[in-house]
Amino acid sequence: METHKGVSDRGGRTFQRFSVDTNESLHFEPCEDSSPSPTGIEHDEDNVFIKDENESEMTSIRNRLQGKVAEMENFAGHLEEIFLTVEENFGRQEQHLEQHHNDVLQTLSQRHNERAAGLVEEKKSKMEALYSQLLSCGQALDASKELIETAQEIYRTPDKRVFLKTVMPIIKRIEMFAKEKVDLTLSTKLDFETPQADLSDVKTMMDSVNAVPAPSAPVINPQMSNSATQTSLRVCWSLFSDDTVEYYDLYYRPVLEDTLADGFCQPHVSTVKVKETHCTVTDLLPNAQYELWVTATNTTGISPASEKALYMTVPSPPVIKQRECTSCPDAALIRWESGNTNPVDSYTVELSEMDTDGTQSSITESIVAVPTCQCLIQLLSGRRYLISVRAVNIGGPSDKSDAVYISTSGTFFYFLEETAHPCLSISEDGFTIFYGDEELPISAMALDDSAFTRCVAILGDLIPVRARHYWEVEVDEGTEFRIGVAYEDTERNSYLGVNGSSWCMRHILSSSRHKYEFLHNGWSPDLRITVHPVRIGVALDYDRGTLSFFNVNLEQHLHTFQCHFRNLVQPCFSLDNPGSLTVHNGIEAPEYTFI
Amino acid sequence: MALTQVSSNKCAGGLQKVFEHESVELKCKMKFAVYLPPKAETDKCPVLYWLSGLTCTEQNFITKAGSQLAAAEHGLIIVAPDTSPRGCGIEGEDESWDFGTGAGFYVDATQDPWKTNYRMYSYVTEELPKLINANFPTHPDRISISGHSMGGHGALICALKNPGKYKAVSAFAPICNPMQCPWGQKAFAGYLGSDRSTWEAFDATVLAASYSGPQLDILIDQGRDDQFLSASQLLPDNLIAVCSEKKIPVVFRLQPGYDHSYFFIYSFISDHIKHHAKYLNA
Repeated sequence: METHKGVSDRGGRTFQRFSVDTNESLHFEPCEDSSPSPTGIEHDEDNVFIKDENESEMTSIRNRLQGKVAEMENFAGHLEEIFLTVEENFGRQEQHLEQHHNDVLQTLSQRHNERAAGLVEEKKSKMEALYSQLLSCGQALDASKELIETAQEIYRTPDKRVFLKTVMPIIKRIEMFAKEKVDLTLSTKLDFETPQADLSDVKTMMDSVNAVPAPSAPVINPQMSNSATQTSLRVCWSLFSDDTVEYYDLYYRPVLEDTLADGFCQPHVSTVKVKETHCTVTDLLPNAQYELWVTATNTTGISPASEKALYMTVPSPPVIKQRECTSCPDAALIRWESGNTNPVDSYTVELSEMDTDGTQSSITESIVAVPTCQCLIQLLSGRRYLISVRAVNIGGPSDKSDAVYISTSGTFFYFLEETAHPCLSISEDGFTIFYGDEELPISAMALDDSAFTRCVAILGDLIPVRARHYWEVEVDEGTEFRIGVAYEDTERNSYLGVNGSSWCMRHILSSSRHKYEFLHNGWSPDLRITVHPVRIGVALDYDRGTLSFFNVNLEQHLHTFQCHFRNLVQPCFSLDNPGSLTVHNGIEAPEYTFI
Repeated sequence: MALTQVSSNKCAGGLQKVFEHESVELKCKMKFAVYLPPKAETDKCPVLYWLSGLTCTEQNFITKAGSQLAAAEHGLIIVAPDTSPRGCGIEGEDESWDFGTGAGFYVDATQDPWKTNYRMYSYVTEELPKLINANFPTHPDRISISGHSMGGHGALICALKNPGKYKAVSAFAPICNPMQCPWGQKAFAGYLGSDRSTWEAFDATVLAASYSGPQLDILIDQGRDDQFLSASQLLPDNLIAVCSEKKIPVVFRLQPGYDHSYFFIYSFISDHIKHHAKYLNA
């Protein structure tokens, strides 16, 4: 008994918990005698276990039943609702039929009255015509009778003389009479004109007694956000609740400003037939505006067209120009191509930091409403990021572009290839320049405006951030070079270091030794370096206004220019004799470079 | 080993002090200057030893070179000893400005009457560092050395003779090849005797040619208008030639218009302190 109590208690509590979630009518009260037993724990373990199992099974069955009941109630409610709707619709339909019936009767009686009145009128005019003809006929008869009588009277006259005297006028009258023609044909037709009754409208009305009315124009919805893709649009519309619609026709055509402006070739209108009040149209052009409208059709007819709605497909994803992306420990400059022929509204740049183990972190930042095809992003140093871009128009954002990997360990840049002297060639990876000693054909000398013309030089594409930058340059022992920085507009027809817009380290190879100059404005300090550097560190510090050079292998400081750089500078590299030079990028600046 | 404070002046946030002590090596009272940067109040600091040139005392450098601001910035202690024993009563010690008093040449003399007191090499490389480490908050293993003229020669030989002991070395207008110049020949003959082979142990150019040890990075500034350069007392080209051949890294800067004075030192001292700080604070 004690055992039972203990277990019931557990069950009872379960019921209670369950009943809270359900309808009040299904409330289960815990049994009176299953009140908590403080001694329950002491009782037979097996018994408790079986009971417990039974109880839990019961509980689960009860739970299922409760669920079913709730479902059925729900269903009943639903049915009731349907019933009401049917009743309501039936009533409306009845009313509609009665109205229709009245309309038809009224129309028919009106037709009848019109027709009857017409017939009476016609009869009257026919009678009148016949009567007047009858009258004239009678008069003619009287006249002829009188003539006959007069003639007979004359004929019977005994007195020949009198006869002769009077006969002449009579003969004349008879002759005249004979000439007179009496019209004995009927002046009116005996038939009544009964034109074919036009009952087509009545027929239509009769037909429509059983049919629903044609639907009214559907209402097309404006574009919802995120309903479009690059090649598809999800379009929604609604109908009036009274309408019965068998299917819809969705019409759409691209809005092409160019062709409209030219005034020819109206774009082709496509149609889709759908049963639902929504449709996803596919095979569209990306980043294009479409005009869409809908008609609804049922057995009775086609509705007028809806208003025309303008939808826009989302743009194609932009294409990041990997070779034009540049970075430093504090920031990255990302450049991309739109990927779309017509303009988009803006771009969204998304960045996610990569974890140390190389997996992509879910933490993503977005920079929205970027108006142009480049974006300077502030970053934390010593991290690794994946950066991608989406193009955005009113229809929504495009898919992500391919991501560009940015490491903020050091400054990273490529060459500005358009600045290269025509004798320079660039390796495939973009970090080595070669100066071959073969003669170039004149045609190859067709120069870009920004290309160096005298000094066999090229600029780098340093991120426009006034911070600290460090890069390294690897050269062969026999290579004569100039490396340093220059204003972007440094004279293209002079040598690096000879003007006020460039600062560079120059290596000159003489027969006896290596000579080094640190050139700016054509002047260099007199300086001897005993160990020829083959890997040179270049450290640029805008804040301090310094440009320092190091022998990387020795960690040896070679020279520091002190200069306040008014403008942004670009790394510059030139080869003064045939050879090659390699830039090493994205290297963390050694501590000694910015002491 | 008792130190007597001679003076103490606040300077560049730290303290410029002068001490006197009884030198065991030199067997006389010696003064040295020590600059303690603000950082030394709380932390251990590396030490830069400065060796002055002919005729100088510990005062020249601390009053004329303007090193304290840069030392304070980089947290370096700078120790500047005197240039020779003084008042030893050796006959002829005060006869000339380029030998004897004020011209110890940072060698350990082997010849009478100098060999008892004139042990400046041992003094600056052994006794003085021990004294400094015992009395000031230093990192004993982070020391470097620099100097001017005769002191430049001293700095170079200390570094070249003790591979790894000094983390960095630099010099202003050093006597690079004393065996080949009148100053050096006079001093070496006096202190070391006539056997020129014994001179080689104190000649930077000779030492460089046989140097083997950790990578050095030598910074040398030289005024182009230095009268002693044109008088062939300094001979930097000889050292550079050897270092080029031996691939010992040297940056040698010939500074146009500068002479041999402390005005020249003052102009470039911060570059040198930065050079030392780079290796001392690494």
